[in-house]
Amino acid sequence: MSRCQDFSEEFELYALGALDPAEMAEVDAHLREGCAGCEAALKNALAMNAMVMSMAPDVVPPARLKRRVLSGAGVHRMSWGWLGALAAASMLMIALWLSVQERSRASELAQVRRTLIQVSAQRDRLLQALSFLDDPVTQPVSFGKGQALPPHGNVFLHPKLGVLLIASNLPPAQPGKAYQMWVIPKGGSPRPAGLFQAEGGTAMHILSGPVDLSSMGAVAVSVEPESGSQAPTTTPVIVAALTGL
Amino acid sequence: MFWKLLPLGFAYGLLQVSLRFKNDGDLARRLKARDPRAMSDLYDRYGRVAYSLIYRIVRDSGAAEDLVQETFLRVWNRIQSFDGQRGSLGPWVMAVARNRAIDYLRSTDGRMSAGALELDRLERPAAFSGFDDGTLSLDRARALKAAFEKLTPTQKQVIELAYYEGLSQSEMAERMQQPLGTVKTWVRGALKALRDEIAGEATA
Repeated sequence: MSRCQDFSEEFELYALGALDPAEMAEVDAHLREGCAGCEAALKNALAMNAMVMSMAPDVVPPARLKRRVLSGAGVHRMSWGWLGALAAASMLMIALWLSVQERSRASELAQVRRTLIQVSAQRDRLLQALSFLDDPVTQPVSFGKGQALPPHGNVFLHPKLGVLLIASNLPPAQPGKAYQMWVIPKGGSPRPAGLFQAEGGTAMHILSGPVDLSSMGAVAVSVEPESGSQAPTTTPVIVAALTGL
Repeated sequence: MFWKLLPLGFAYGLLQVSLRFKNDGDLARRLKARDPRAMSDLYDRYGRVAYSLIYRIVRDSGAAEDLVQETFLRVWNRIQSFDGQRGSLGPWVMAVARNRAIDYLRSTDGRMSAGALELDRLERPAAFSGFDDGTLSLDRARALKAAFEKLTPTQKQVIELAYYEGLSQSEMAERMQQPLGTVKTWVRGALKALRDEIAGEATA
C-alpha cells in the first residue's frame, strides 16, 4: 500500500478535524508537497463529508431565522412579497387620497353650486325689486320714519307685481323665529304674505302677484315661528298703513 | 425503487443534495458583488439543510438558530476567498455549519482547546472551490445512504461520533472503551465502504 493511499483513506477524518494532532500534521506536510492525486482525493473526501452531513434528519427552521440571518449580515430583506404588500399599501393610500380629493372636490362643487343658487336667487329678487322701483305705477309707503326704533323703511305697492318691503334697523330674529309679512285688508283679518329673515339689520321681502290696492288697509310684519303662522301671534314690529292710496 | 422506501427526512436530504448542490458560480459571484438578493438566495438553498445538520449536532433549537446565523455570516464575510467560477457552495456551507456546531458542542462539554483553530483552518473557502455537479449527484447520495444502512452498528456509531460529535479517533476509543486500533479499524472500514459505494456509482 503506497503512502498516498494511506493518506487518501484518512482525508475524510482529516477534513473533519478528527485525526489526532500528529496525524493531522503528517497529512498537512504531505499536502504541502503538492501531490495532485491527494489533492483530488481530498476533494472527493470533502464531497463525501458534505453528503454524509446532508443525511441529518430534516428539520424545518422557523421562518424568523431567515430574517435573523439577513439582518445579521446587514442585508435587509426585500422579497417580492414585501414589494407586493408595499405596492398594495401604496395603491390603497393613492385610492384613499383620490377618494378624499374627490370628496373634497365634490364638497367644494356643492358649496359653489349652493352659493351660485343663492346669488342667482338674490339677483332675481333684486331684479324683481328693481322692476317695482322702475315702474311709475308703483306706490311707495314709508313706515317708522324719524324713529331710531322700531324699524323703518318702505313698502312698494304695485297692482300687478305685488308688494315689496324694504326695512332697516331690523334686528335678526331669534333662533327658530322668522319675520312674517301680513297684508291686512280694510276691515278684514291679516293674510299671510310670506316669511323672511333680516341680514345685517336690513331685509327685503316681496309678495309676488296681483294685489287689490283699493281694498288693502295696511302691510304689517311680526315675529313668528320659522314655520309661519296663519295669524299674527305677536305684536307687529312694522305697520305700514296704506292711507290715501 | 428502494429509495422510495426511504424516510421522508432523508428524501428531503437527497433533494437538497441533488437540487441545491448545483452550480453556484453565479450565486458566488453575486455574493462577492454584495448583491443583497444573493444572501437571500443562499439561505433559500442551504438554510434548511444547514439548520437540520446543526440541530442534529446540538439538539437545541435556540442554539441551532444562533449557529445558523453565525454560519451564514461567516460565509458572507469570507466569500471573497471562494474561488468558484463554477461549482457548488454546498460542501463549504455544510462544513462551516458542522464546524460551528462542533465548536459549540465542545465549548459546552469543556472540550474547547486547539480544536477551534484547527476547524477554522480546515474550512478555508479555497479548499472547497471547484466542485462540479457530478461530485454531488443524486445517484451518489442514494448510494451513500444505502451503503450507510449496510454498515455494522459499531461502524455507524463511529461515523456518527466523527461527523456529529466531532470526536477524534482517540476520543472515540475513550468514549466506547475500546482499543484505539479497534476503533481505527471500524472507522476505516466504514469510510471505505461509503467511499467505494460512491466510487462504484460514479463509474457505473
